[in-house]
Amino acid sequence: MTDAANDSASALLDPGASPRREAPGVRLSRRAWLRGFAGAGAAHAACGAAHATASADPDPSSLLLKLVRRVTYHPTPEELALAAQLGYDGYLERQLNHLALSDAALTAPLARLTTLGMTYAQLLAINNSGQVRNELTEALILRAQLSSRQLFERMVEFWTDHFSVDFTSGDCSLHKTIDDRDVIRPHALGTFPALLQASTRSPAMLVFLDNVSSNRIRPNENYARELLELHTMGVNSGYTQTDVQEVARCFTGWRVRPDSSGPTAGQFYFDAAAHDEGQKVVLGNVIPANGGMADGVRVAQILAEHPATAAFIAGKLTRWLLGEHASASVVRDVAPVYTSTSGDIKAMVRRALRPEHLHDASPKLKRPFHLCASALRAVGGVITSTSRLRTELRLAGHSPYSWKTPDGYPDTFEHWSGLVQPRWNFAATLGNQSLTGVTLDFSVFFAGAAGVDAMMARLNERLFGGEMSPDEFEHVRQYMLPEPTTTSKLRDAVGLALSTPSFQWF
Amino acid sequence: MHQRTGCAEYDMLSRRRFLAASSGAALAAASAPAWLPRVALARDYRGAQRDVLISIYLRGASDGLSLVPPHADANYYSLRPTLNVPRPGSNAPSRAIDLDGFFGLAPAMAPLLPAYQDGNLLIVHACGSTDTTRSHFEAQRLMETASSTATASTTGWLGRHIQSVQPMDPGALLRAVAIDSALPQTLIGAPRTLPIPDLDAFGLSGYSQSSDQREAVLRQLYGGSGGGRLAAVASDTLSTIDLLDTINFAGYVPGNAAVYPGSSFGVAMRSAAALIKARVGVEAIAIDVEGWDTHSNQGTTGGFLASLMTTLAQGLAAFYTDMGAGAAPSYTLVCMSEFGRRAAENGSAGTDHGRGNAMFVMGGCVRGGRVLADWPGLAPEQLYERLDLDVTIDYRDILAEILSTRLGNQNLQSVFPGFTPTTRSILSC
Repeated sequence: MTDAANDSASALLDPGASPRREAPGVRLSRRAWLRGFAGAGAAHAACGAAHATASADPDPSSLLLKLVRRVTYHPTPEELALAAQLGYDGYLERQLNHLALSDAALTAPLARLTTLGMTYAQLLAINNSGQVRNELTEALILRAQLSSRQLFERMVEFWTDHFSVDFTSGDCSLHKTIDDRDVIRPHALGTFPALLQASTRSPAMLVFLDNVSSNRIRPNENYARELLELHTMGVNSGYTQTDVQEVARCFTGWRVRPDSSGPTAGQFYFDAAAHDEGQKVVLGNVIPANGGMADGVRVAQILAEHPATAAFIAGKLTRWLLGEHASASVVRDVAPVYTSTSGDIKAMVRRALRPEHLHDASPKLKRPFHLCASALRAVGGVITSTSRLRTELRLAGHSPYSWKTPDGYPDTFEHWSGLVQPRWNFAATLGNQSLTGVTLDFSVFFAGAAGVDAMMARLNERLFGGEMSPDEFEHVRQYMLPEPTTTSKLRDAVGLALSTPSFQWF
Repeated sequence: MHQRTGCAEYDMLSRRRFLAASSGAALAAASAPAWLPRVALARDYRGAQRDVLISIYLRGASDGLSLVPPHADANYYSLRPTLNVPRPGSNAPSRAIDLDGFFGLAPAMAPLLPAYQDGNLLIVHACGSTDTTRSHFEAQRLMETASSTATASTTGWLGRHIQSVQPMDPGALLRAVAIDSALPQTLIGAPRTLPIPDLDAFGLSGYSQSSDQREAVLRQLYGGSGGGRLAAVASDTLSTIDLLDTINFAGYVPGNAAVYPGSSFGVAMRSAAALIKARVGVEAIAIDVEGWDTHSNQGTTGGFLASLMTTLAQGLAAFYTDMGAGAAPSYTLVCMSEFGRRAAENGSAGTDHGRGNAMFVMGGCVRGGRVLADWPGLAPEQLYERLDLDVTIDYRDILAEILSTRLGNQNLQSVFPGFTPTTRSILSC
């Protein structure tokens, strides 16, 4: 690129900067290879080995790219290189074995979010529920963008919706921080029965669904019904109104210490005086009188072992990973894994993501949070504040932990496909570097890319894993022309690339 | 000038028009008065033939026994020892407003009295679905799709209505809208229909000088096969961004000096009125009000529920006043919920999931000023499963009459397949 006018995009780029840390084998897609975009050739030379290995299969690189798309918030070139190195199973196992993955990149950004590690009493003492909610949301965004445990984060998102708690609902604003830390995250890739038992005594859940005020004289049915309908068996799966009422009786006395309790404030406890000690019958199982807290524990066990729960959880998990139209035969393949492994979540994920299942899966529309996280990963934005990002998520109808009802944000195309304007506006704002709190350094992103074709190649590589559709590529390229392109056109082009139909799917 | 065109509501330039007007060429090109919404002149509006339908959904199961208490049914007070609305004749500071000697309005619903007394507000009680589920999500899905578990449909009743009638305005860019961030199931299937959370802020961000070029690229990207399943939404979105840019929502002046509350529901009702009066061919508007799932600390007379009822009633009342002015387009409004709440209160000063509920219908042709009910009673043996107010009027009876009489639908079977409505004579014209 010649040194042209002041507003030339080249002015943004430091010609002396060394090329961005290029991992070997960054490009996996044969299509991209064959397309042979100008300017991408040099990098391709470095990944010849990975390509040669992959070429035995018709297009294994494409399936590998699909896997990385499914288990992460965005397939960065670095992540794709890792996948190419480890292969399909190796990469999936690496992500499933999340505790072995270092998350050093998160240490510094999370360190300033002091409320994440606090007890309820400590959260109460700082007397700023807005700060508590904002820090939890900020942590979620940072983790989605920066965590190496990408599949784990995707599963945290899944279980957060499955055991949804609206932290804008009065008393839940502090409890959700603890629910996220002590219930959802420890079990997100653990076992469903353990996750369920933890949730039954989560103050956030017991407060959100009114169990804290339930008593033996006139039990509150709210938690009992959603426990059956949303958390375990699913609607129309055979339980009756009487079962709901019996489950409610079993959970009477499962309460949370009031704010006035000093160091134990906000903690779960069993209040024997509020517990109905009579005999109950739940789904045909007699629960003997005088069981105390064991009644609720037993109910959670009955539910976790119920075949309807296996089918419901396996189906929902499969649709999360493979799409809402995942075939019944795939669900029939995954559900027995729940039963044979006593609800091992990793085993179900592993089965659902078998190559033959993923091969048949349709693309999923990114929900706004996913879009936000993937865009941040794709452009490498450095987050200094999430205030504006939280606003963008709100405008798109996807504020974390804020879905009003206990069924969690929907996982359907139908729900999310109506409102595309906030997606485009987020993309345009991020691209033109006016998204307050996110620094996007083009001298890093476009390092070494001189000229429109090289810049397009960079966008294709980092946003689309090298598989940007030729039509979209051409529309964005034309927008940047003529050479030399301008800074403002380059910024717009990044926004347009993030606005393409392809970038909305994964 | 204002009187002649009937568009006095808009006394300010729209944002983009204002910007364009600063250029001399644009100013010269504009032959219409600058304050007038462009579309008002550009379109052959035939809305007078049909009502605009406003569909309000109370998410979470509203407590019809609190909104419209049956104060002359003695069982009501034994079932609700602490959560009742006291009798109209009682000395309680906050008591029911009598409607017909049997039913009353919660005091928080008082803003609706003028519409009721004018005969433009009808209340239908012990109303609901024939399906007996007590699941919010299942009940909403079945009611909004107007289908049964066996014949589950994915499209909504209002979506199918829009599908099955000719557009009110053949050139309409936007036929229906949900003032929300997602379409409710009620509207699924409707062509040229979008969810828009804030009608006044539906524009494109980014550099303003490249806005038109970027919009053109978005059209290219989403046009043809490239847009895939998002193609229609993207195209409708871009058209609607331009359409709404011609309407100055912020400068809208409600008719009859109506004052909308500042609640999000009030803002939504206000922008709904502005959109209807802009006469751009919108046939239906859906608005949700959340928070009715009052399992604990319900606060019927001076608590959470009371304030929620106030929000609802004030928003509806302002809309009624506003739309009653002069030659405003005619409308019918329906307000419903998935089911009612348990007849007896629970031990948390709240109510669990129930069945029969109150539904509201408002509009110029509504035979209102009465409570339509075939009251099943609240004695234990009269309750559904000895728990809940029963349903004696199918909500589809009400919707069917509105669609066929006021919205020109001659094909009700496509909206309510297999259903034969019972005539309830809720409309006078």
